[in-house]
Order: sequence, then structure tokens, then C-alpha cells
Amino acid sequence: MRFRDLSFLVVSNLRRMKLRLALTSLGVVIGTAAIVLMLSLGIGLQANMTASLGDLGAATHINVMGGGMGPMGTEGVVLNDEMVEQFGAIEHVEAVLPSTYVFSIQDVRYRRYQAYLNTMGVPMDAFEKFGYELEEGRLPRNNKEILLGAVIPTSFSFASDDLFMGGTTPTAPELDLLGKRLTAKVVTYPTEDEYKSDPNAPAKEEKRKFTVVGILAPSDMQTDQTAYVTMDAAIDLNDLDKRKVSYENVIVKADSVNSVAEVEQTIMDMGFYTFSARSIQDQLKSVFLIIQGVLGALGAIAMLVAALGITNTMTMSIYERTREIGIMKAVGASNRQIKRVFLGEAAIIGMLGGTGGLLFSAAGAALANLFVQALIASQTATTGGVSTETTSFFQIPVWLAIFAIAFAAGVGLLAGVLPAVRAANLDPLTALRHE
Amino acid sequence: MTHAVEVEGLTREYIMGGEPLVVLRGVTLSIEPGEIVCVMGPSGSGKSTLLNIVGGLDRPTAGTVRIEGADLAEMDDERLAIYRRKQVGFLFQSFNLIPTMTARRNVELPLLFAGASPAERTQRAVAALESVGLGHRIDHKPTELSGGEQQRAAMARAIVNEPAIVLADEPTGNLDSRTGHEILGLMREMNDAGRTLLITTHDRAIAESVADRIITIVDGSIESIEQGGTS
Repeated sequence: MRFRDLSFLVVSNLRRMKLRLALTSLGVVIGTAAIVLMLSLGIGLQANMTASLGDLGAATHINVMGGGMGPMGTEGVVLNDEMVEQFGAIEHVEAVLPSTYVFSIQDVRYRRYQAYLNTMGVPMDAFEKFGYELEEGRLPRNNKEILLGAVIPTSFSFASDDLFMGGTTPTAPELDLLGKRLTAKVVTYPTEDEYKSDPNAPAKEEKRKFTVVGILAPSDMQTDQTAYVTMDAAIDLNDLDKRKVSYENVIVKADSVNSVAEVEQTIMDMGFYTFSARSIQDQLKSVFLIIQGVLGALGAIAMLVAALGITNTMTMSIYERTREIGIMKAVGASNRQIKRVFLGEAAIIGMLGGTGGLLFSAAGAALANLFVQALIASQTATTGGVSTETTSFFQIPVWLAIFAIAFAAGVGLLAGVLPAVRAANLDPLTALRHE
Repeated sequence: MTHAVEVEGLTREYIMGGEPLVVLRGVTLSIEPGEIVCVMGPSGSGKSTLLNIVGGLDRPTAGTVRIEGADLAEMDDERLAIYRRKQVGFLFQSFNLIPTMTARRNVELPLLFAGASPAERTQRAVAALESVGLGHRIDHKPTELSGGEQQRAAMARAIVNEPAIVLADEPTGNLDSRTGHEILGLMREMNDAGRTLLITTHDRAIAESVADRIITIVDGSIESIEQGGTS
């Protein structure tokens, strides 16, 4: 029998049971939709992880946090120069960049524009080793120089004193700041000793001028929004004792992406909290793994139930057509040909369900993508961050579409094996006598 | 000379309710090419079983059935299907057309399983339907045809593969006598074209009007073989 004739026979048989066909393939629709969504989420995430995680920091960087608490509430380990040296000695560590947050700088002004800067003090030699690229200019060399992250020139707004009263100020145009001098408002709070002698000691406020000597090329989101001064400047501004300085944050650079996990674990074992693009990725992955697992389980169960439904429908339809099978055998149909006819019917039920499921999941994926994109848009709007390009977390490539339909057809085929074999092995005489 | 059908010591037993039921007891018989043989006998005599075994729809418990020298008992299911497809055509009392298919599709069915091309199928099916006088009804479904027309369609189906032997089990049993005679006339035409016919009937008049030989079976054994009225 030719394939075309087989298909014709199969299709004309199925056309006789449209409602039953629709109801039976509904299970396959649900199963396929869940499985396709699961896989498309996996594919979308894979694509987006690599694309968008650059925003969280370079893939080889490990952020080490200081000031944490140790086990059972004991004082945590302190991030100081000694620790920086120890990190540097860890195998696979290429460079270590300690940084200290310059909390004393409240805002900076340039002409009538104002910006709230996140300013960090870093050792410039280590900073250079980290491979941050300059868009223009050079690195700061003394206490009076400052380096700006890539987006800072566009982050100024018109100076206003009632900003904290909820007033909004129009954003300033992009400023050409290289070589210009910024005025920083520096607030120094009383030290512990001063506070003891005079609880009402006022905070000291002064103005400091910094010359912008360089602007960084765009890199990750955090670096783009940070201004950098030398470590000496930071110690001076924060009014710290140089011998007892400790850092809020140390970035450790691993020599390759593959050694990040190992280095990060070593540092965590030393008692520090860390985060890296990798560990964030791991956390996200585990969340998405759960979503995928739920979808996968749902899909598997739906597929199983659907397969049983197909088996049931085929068994019933074969019972009803017993006499017809007898006739086909009498006119020369072989067992194998009969088997093929019914396997074909089962496969088509699966295929139709698979196509329906694919359409369903494509619609679902589009909706979910819109929702996620809206969520991201609203988040970036409230944090004032730069909006990242629109991302599709559910992606259905062509191969997945083909796979989905083929898989559903395969499930149908498998579900049809038992009834088809029964039909093929019917005794022709018994079948002909069947009413 | 090779016989068209050669049956030797044919026995068929069924197990019914745990008890063996002997339907055919050592039937020996040969049919020559181009012969019309009628098998007569009361209900349950085993005449239909004989026909079904010769047609490869049933298997003997013992004995041999040779068709043009080949033993059906030795064929596996696959080979038996090919035998039914190529060497025999069936006619049934209840016509056994597939109700959802048109006359043409029903007649095409044996060709479909034989792997003929669609064009060839249509051409041969239409020719077969025309030869039984149903050329004007090819696209009608069985329910839209009279009993006589349905049996004509079944005849077209039986001969569309050009089989050497046509087996008819009470072919006129569901028809009025006039229509029955029309069908018998067509069967004679089939015979004139060189086909061997094996027909079961319980109607002596029918047997005498078409048969070269009349075989009477009672209780699974041949009771008599007589020359028919046409020879």
C-alpha cells in the first residue's frame, strides 16, 4: 500500500469521528503546550542569561562583602588589606580590587546641574588590572581627581533643594564633563570620641572640588553608575584611620569563567558573603528550574493521560469497525496494512493535538513575554536605571515547533500500538460476523 | 492437469463451550478451472466453512487445500493475505460493503492494498462497475443502493483484481428471486470470462440453474456429488 493511499484512508476514517477526534486530541493539546512552554522557557533563559547578565558584572568577577556577621552572631571577618592579600594568594585569582564607599559625598554639582553619585575609592593600579576601559581621559592620580562611570554625564538634573520633598526635576542634557571641575558636598559626622565628649557635636559640611580626568566606557550596570576616586582620597574624605581601614567591598577577578565557582567557594569558606554573575545565575536558574519542573510535570502527566485517551478512543473505534476490518482482510489487507491504518490514525490524533498545543503555547509565550517585559520596564522606570533591550524569556525556535508536533505524533503512535496490534490480529471470519 | 482447487481430507473442528465441534470431517474434492460448483446443504452442514477455508479466511484443523498447487495450510498470515488479494474474490450474503465509502471506493479497496496507482485503481474500478451494470452508480454509497445494486458492487469488487476463483456464500440469500436471477446471470458471465466459481446455497433451483456440479454436504461430510443442470 502506498503512503498516499494510507494517508487517504486514515484521513477519511478520522473525518467520520470529528467530535471524538477533537476531544481526544485536547489532552495532547494541553500536554504539548506545557512541554513546549517548558522548553521555550529554558531556551529563552539560556539566551538571556548570557546576554543580560553582563549587566550584573563581568562573568569572571566575584563580589566579596565585608562587615557581615560570623556564625552564631559573632563578629564577622573584616575586609582589610590583610584579607585582600589573602584573596590575591588564592589559586586562579588574577586580581583583587578592594573598594570603599565614600559615604561622605552627598551630591555633586556642576554649574546649575546636580547629581547624586555613588562614589567608590579604589586603588587605581588594581583598577587598571581589572581591565575597565576608558572612553576618554585617564585614571585619577591624586586626591583631587575623579573618574566617572559611563552613564553619569547623562544622569544630572537641574539643581533643586526640594528634591527630597518629592519634587521632580527635569533631567539635564548630556554634559561634556571631561576636564571640568565638579563641586562635591562633603559631610563629616562626628567620630565616636567626639560624640562622647559632646553628644551635640554637629556634622561638618564642606565643599571639595574634583577634576574629571576620565570617563569609563560602558560596562556593567553598576560600574556605569559609579564615580571612582583614589583610595587615599576615599580615606581622607571619610576621615578614616589609614592603618585600620576596612573595605565594604572587594572584587576578586578569577582567571577564567570556569574557575569562578572554585574561587568563590574558597572565599565563602573564609567566612565572607559573596555574589557573582555566576551565583546570581545559579539562583535564577534554580527558580526557573522549578518553573520548568512544574511545566514539565504537568506536560508529562497531561501527555500520559492524553495517550491513555488515544488508546481508549482507538480501542472503541476499532471495536465499532470490527466488521470493516474483516472486510478489508477479506479483500486482501494484510495484518501489517491494517496495523498501519490504525497506527496512522493514532499518530494523526497526536499530531493534530501537537499542532493545537504548539499554537496554544506560542500564544501563551507571547503573552508571558509581554508581561515580563512590562514588569522589567516598570522596574527599570522606578529605579531610574537604563532600560535594557526587550527580552523574550519564552522562545520557540523552528526546531522546537517541529519537535513538538513530531513528539505529539510519536505519543499518539505509541498510544495506538496496542489497539492497532489488536485490530491487525483480529480473526477475519470473527470480524466479518461482528455486528 | 492441475486442478483449480484440490481439497484433501479437510477437517475443521471448533471448540465451542469447551466441547469440540466437528464442522468438516475429511472432505476430499477437486474443482477444475472454469468450473461452477455449488455446495448445498442445510444450515450448519459446514458448507460455508468449506468456502471460508478455500478462500483463506479460515484454516483447516487437518487436511490440505491446494490452490494451483500451493497449500494454504502452510501459508503464514501475510502470505494468506496476498493469496486473498490476488487469487480469490469473495461474495457474501450480506454484501459486506464498507458503508462510509462510495461504490467506487469499495471496489478500489483490493487494488489499494495491492498497491495500484490511484489512476489505475479508478480506471479498473470503474470498468469493473460498468461490467456489472453499475456504471451510473459509481459515486453512490451502499445505503443509496438497492440490495441487487449492492451485490453488483460487491461483484465488481470481487473481480477487480482479476482472480482465478470467485467464492460466493449464499450470494442471492438476501435478494428477491428476480434480482437473484440477475446476479446469477452476472455470475455466469464471470464464469464465461474463465473464472472458477464455488457457490454455496440452500436453494436447489439456483444450484441447478448455474452449477456444473452440485455437491451436497450433510454434517460435515460429502453426501453426494451430481452433475448440474447446465452440463
